Amino acid sequence: MVNLKNVTVHYSSGIDALVDVNLHISEGEFVFIVGESGAGKSTLMKLMLRELTPSSGRVFVNNRNIGALKGNKIAMFRRTIGVVFQDFRLIEDYTVYENVAFALRVADSSSKTIRQRVPYVLNLVGLGSKAKSKVRELSGGEKQRVAIARALANDPGLLIVDEPTGNLDPKRSYEIVGLLKEINRCGTTVVMITHEHDLVQYFGGRIINLEKGVITFDETIGGSEDYYEE
Amino acid sequence: MRSNNFSYLVKTGVAGVWKNFIMSFASFSILLVSLLQVSVTVLFIMNANIIMGNIEDTNQIAVFVEDLENEPEEEHQKKVDHIRDVLMSNENLTEVTYMSKEEAAEKFTQAMSDEYAELINIVPGGNPMPETFMARVTDLKTIRYTVSSIKSIDGVEQVNAPYDFANALVNIRNAASFIVIAMLCVLIVVSVVVISNTIRASVFARRHEITIMKYVGATNGFIKLPFFVEGCFVGIVAGASSWGLSWFIYDSVFSLFTDNLTLWQMFGFFNLIPFDNIKWLLLAANCAAGALLGVLGTMISMNKYLKV
Repeated sequence: MVNLKNVTVHYSSGIDALVDVNLHISEGEFVFIVGESGAGKSTLMKLMLRELTPSSGRVFVNNRNIGALKGNKIAMFRRTIGVVFQDFRLIEDYTVYENVAFALRVADSSSKTIRQRVPYVLNLVGLGSKAKSKVRELSGGEKQRVAIARALANDPGLLIVDEPTGNLDPKRSYEIVGLLKEINRCGTTVVMITHEHDLVQYFGGRIINLEKGVITFDETIGGSEDYYEE
Repeated sequence: MRSNNFSYLVKTGVAGVWKNFIMSFASFSILLVSLLQVSVTVLFIMNANIIMGNIEDTNQIAVFVEDLENEPEEEHQKKVDHIRDVLMSNENLTEVTYMSKEEAAEKFTQAMSDEYAELINIVPGGNPMPETFMARVTDLKTIRYTVSSIKSIDGVEQVNAPYDFANALVNIRNAASFIVIAMLCVLIVVSVVVISNTIRASVFARRHEITIMKYVGATNGFIKLPFFVEGCFVGIVAGASSWGLSWFIYDSVFSLFTDNLTLWQMFGFFNLIPFDNIKWLLLAANCAAGALLGVLGTMISMNKYLKV
């Protein structure tokens, strides 16, 4: 699904954000990417979104060398992945329905597809009843659910989630990661960037730790979900 | 692109005009001035060409005979006969006709409205109209030489050639065209810059939305289309407004030349183009030019401020 081969990202400011990184994420995996600020997490995310190209090495997503993509092929590639941000990045003046429909419009979906798909993904994230609400009227947790629904609108094989719980209280944070786990169980590969170790330890799974642009830890650990439920 | 998504982008573009109303209005105003100037100049040039054609078609000169109070009748008649002979022998003149003072006065009173016709009766010393020879010029290119040779004939007081007026009109037309083109170049640059800034403001207002579009896989065309719609919309509205104003101005000026035909017809101001004959062509040209300038301004802004 995601393959980084000897990837180095060197910024013009002189900083090496990633240094000779090799990484393989298989289809259907749920991966936490953790690390301190400046460790290279955001750079890794930008590489996977083809917002950046590596200074050296190659990045493959779905067996495509995405560094070689140009122009509208980048747009077509992005339609095959979903992305969720810490700050939600929703259009506040739009309704919940319009925000999700927006992603489908961008992908040039038909009106019929939009009418069918939007209620489906909204029900999936538990916001079926809020379709007509304006985004600005929602709580942080609900906004993040809308962002997840929007990311799922085009049925992506890969979901990249950047600090989704950064703006949420602990209870909502666990709910959101729980929801992402559910989505993963349905077959979507999820790559979640976070610095919240409690969440990672609670849910468990494959953990990749970055330090100064280098992978220092890549193991699968058991979670302690039972602890929270108690 | 599907029609439902295309219409969504068009609506978004038009909505952008109202969201950035002040900047849109500035673009509209500057475009309106530019397009109005072009419209009025084009109309002026079209009509100037017609007037010059009329003058050239007429190509008639009037030769006025000197009228000396103390000159014996016999001497005067000799001069008139001599002038007639010289005119008739000139290869560049045809249809030489003679008009006596009385005939000239009668023609004047017929040409003028009643109130002006009375003027001829109150001039001290009686009929002021001179004896006149009318002649048609064969080759307008050499009219200057012909006129100067006629002026040198003994007994000729003055030669009126409408070609002088045509020349003046050509000069005015050329000068006006030059000034207008120079001003137009400046206005076009200003229009494009103002539109470009309007679109820049619009890009800034929608930067958040644009970022989201990029992440969910919008193509460059999808992101840019609403801005082109916005620029184009402002341009077309300015074009249509310019057309309406041109119509009003043209009709006002046109009525000046058609209400009192006699005086203007003497100078070739007839057969002017009625606005109705060209209104649709002018509307299309105005809107197309407005849209083009709008798109040009948007393109500059897109290349500069929207990296997608």
